[in-house]
Amino acid sequence: MVVEQQLLPYFQWLLTGGEKSLGALPSFAFVFLGVAMAALVIGFAIAASRYGFLRGGDVTYKTISEGLRELLQTSPRRVWAIARLAIKESLRRRVAVALGVFFLVLLFANWFLSTNHQEPARLYLSFVLTASTYLVLGVALLLSAFSLPGDFKTKTIYTVVTKPVRAGEIILGRIIGFMIVITVLLAIMGVGSYIFVVRSLDHSHTVELESFQVVANPAGEEVGKKGTTSRDAGHRHELTLDKDGNGETTVENGHTHRIESLGENKYRVSPPLGFIRARVPQYGKLRFIDRSGAAKDTGISVGSEWTYRSFIDGNTPATAIWTFDNVSDAVDPNVPEDERSLPLSLIVRVFKTHKGVIGQALQGTIQLRNPDPAANGLTSEPLSFDAQDQQVDDFNIPRKQYSQSRQEIDLFKDLVSKDGKIEVLVKCLDRGQYFGFAQADCYIRHPDGSPIASFAKVCVSIWVQAVIVVSVGVTISTLVSGPVAMLFVVGFIILGFWRQDFVDIATGKSYGGGPAESVVRIATQANVMVQLEDTLLNNLVTGFDKYFAKPIMWAVAQTLPDFRSFSTVRYAADGYNVPWDRVFQDVTVCLGYVVGLSIIGYFLLRTREVAK
Amino acid sequence: MSEEIILQTRALSKVYRDFWGRQKVRALKGLDLEVRRGEVFGLLGPNGSGKTTTIKLLLGLLFPTEGEALVFGKPASDVAKNERLGYLPEESYLYRFLTADETLDFYGRLFDMPSDVRRQRIDELIEMVGLQKARKRQLQEYSKGMTRRIGLAQALINDPELIMLDEPTSGLDPIGTREMKDMILRLKDEGKTIVMCSHLLADVQDVCDRIAILHQGELKELGRVDELLKVADVTQIRAKNLSVDCQRELRDVISRHHGELVSLDNPTTTLEELFLEIVRDSEARPGRRAGVK
Repeated sequence: MVVEQQLLPYFQWLLTGGEKSLGALPSFAFVFLGVAMAALVIGFAIAASRYGFLRGGDVTYKTISEGLRELLQTSPRRVWAIARLAIKESLRRRVAVALGVFFLVLLFANWFLSTNHQEPARLYLSFVLTASTYLVLGVALLLSAFSLPGDFKTKTIYTVVTKPVRAGEIILGRIIGFMIVITVLLAIMGVGSYIFVVRSLDHSHTVELESFQVVANPAGEEVGKKGTTSRDAGHRHELTLDKDGNGETTVENGHTHRIESLGENKYRVSPPLGFIRARVPQYGKLRFIDRSGAAKDTGISVGSEWTYRSFIDGNTPATAIWTFDNVSDAVDPNVPEDERSLPLSLIVRVFKTHKGVIGQALQGTIQLRNPDPAANGLTSEPLSFDAQDQQVDDFNIPRKQYSQSRQEIDLFKDLVSKDGKIEVLVKCLDRGQYFGFAQADCYIRHPDGSPIASFAKVCVSIWVQAVIVVSVGVTISTLVSGPVAMLFVVGFIILGFWRQDFVDIATGKSYGGGPAESVVRIATQANVMVQLEDTLLNNLVTGFDKYFAKPIMWAVAQTLPDFRSFSTVRYAADGYNVPWDRVFQDVTVCLGYVVGLSIIGYFLLRTREVAK
Repeated sequence: MSEEIILQTRALSKVYRDFWGRQKVRALKGLDLEVRRGEVFGLLGPNGSGKTTTIKLLLGLLFPTEGEALVFGKPASDVAKNERLGYLPEESYLYRFLTADETLDFYGRLFDMPSDVRRQRIDELIEMVGLQKARKRQLQEYSKGMTRRIGLAQALINDPELIMLDEPTSGLDPIGTREMKDMILRLKDEGKTIVMCSHLLADVQDVCDRIAILHQGELKELGRVDELLKVADVTQIRAKNLSVDCQRELRDVISRHHGELVSLDNPTTTLEELFLEIVRDSEARPGRRAGVK
């Protein structure tokens, strides 16, 4: 799975942040203060233009002081009344149609989704979860953007605001009401999706008796059988049975089957196992050694624009080295101590500069090394493997290992340092070929988490996105009409999805300048790499971008959520457990938006003439 | 009626502006008003005279351009004033997908009323406005009169001290109009202060203690209804069972005292009275043609 940004532990993320980022709480405080100051200046400017300088100041002061007072007078009963109203309004606006559309999509999905796929679970999961995301976001958008403007249009807001209900309660109540609607929608869609995926992928095989071959030990005694299953759902498995006729199939299309003997050449093949997984990886730190043996932070580039992975060249000293912390033999405590192994998974991106032998995989090696200087670089013998491009290769490296001087060593006692560290060294053996790695491509595999729980956590991430959309929609709809509010929220979502590009333009990382310069480039047909002529107009345009447009873009970007990072669909689709840190971070961000936007919404509604 | 001032406006003005801040219309010009506890105060004027604007300014639905509006001594923009206030808008702007019960329950919750108090109050109000049979029906199925009645009920959910009624009888049939007027008088008897605006002069005359007449946003007249309507140089005599001779003698007396006889004839009842009597008679004797004398 691609992990472009390292996931920080929750409290570190919240308070101190990473190397290049501020903690979430200080960031929120800065943005909050920035927005508050901007709002204060704009609010005072408007009030002063309306009522004059002194009275404008008085009005601004009263608005803020009353706002703080009213915040303390928030009544849960009134908030709940508005929330109930929002729920009833949603039902009246036929929100259930979204469910109908969703189940209609599922009904016809099997026409387009094939179980005869290398990883059908990835296909099915990403499809249902993406469909749920878009549908729920659409519902959130429509509900929130048209609700308050509807009240203004029908003037029902008159009978509400003439009751002792605070503007903040109207905003918060609506957000909570729609949040509940979305929760119910998502819960139904989630259960429906999970059942759909499990039922769609469900299949069985029969054992082909004519394919059986006897497996004998060196003494010639029969120890089991080998054979194949029937071809169903577009694939067949090879199988190995023990002497009693029980066994397991090989992994095909991301799953296996268990086989149980019923006696007299009758076998029962279990439903597919391992289709939907929730791997729990423990990531290490990656560094490289280049072909000359020098230490490097990254490998070499093979020309890909996406610099996520870097490469090592084959049949040279170039090595990718992961260092893992807190390693012990207790990774899988259910296994007897002397049989414990180090469960390691590796994803290799293969880059070939020549065809090599067609159909033959590239070869690589894995070695384990003790990073403790006192161990004098004690390294295990190389374990070779076939590198399948972008596939997750699972290894269980037994604790009994041999050093390079052929001495027997214990993986956990000799190769793990006293402070629990171990290094994993990966090399490519084929000359002229390359292996590409990113930090997340090698990890220690902890016992799988619950796939259902992981699936539910993905639904939480969709919920988080929808709640942010609802909060934005409700807040902006205090100010503008329904269609305008909808356009604003759509713009917000689009900017949120491409937040990084937006920031790159604002900070000058992207080629082509800011928005005004782009207009000039489009008009003059000058591509982004062409230097603009040094004319007065061009200088004005670039100056406008530099001192006006880009700072505004940067400021706006600080308030935008990174929608792309919220999506955890890829976790479920790639078969990884969604970490709790991810869930807590997303829910905290969501809470931050709800609180911040409720406050903004309060002042927008409070300072609006309802009857205008 | 006490001397306590419930509602006050000081040089209250409102200018409507367009998107660009240009003046569109000056809806209210320097209005000074005081309404005391326990009185029924009427705002009178033709369409566009500024009645509804005044009500909206008093409710905080609009912000004054100049001057100030005080309700219970607090600025109209203070939400806390709404605790003691009831408002029936010109049209009953209610959620049409709610039933009468749900509507009152919703507004009751907005007053932070506990469940048992809310329940009891809803039952009382539903009975008071006569919607017992329709309490479970959605408002979209209601007739205009029923909608008006549930609108009044929501305005009274908090047993308010001050009730603002914007065109309370608009769209009501004569029976509904009479019931609304009776209701206003009953509320007055309970000591409530009522501010209503209307352009139906008869309604205002029937229920209001004091009136203000607005025209083109300006206050043209303010005072007690009975004093304003009193015609000082005309004397009215109403008597029953006078003979023709007696009537002749009366004419002679007036003539002797150099008075000018304006009219001496049998009065006619009002059409409202006639209509209500016919309906009452029809309800008492269904299927019979009305025999009103």
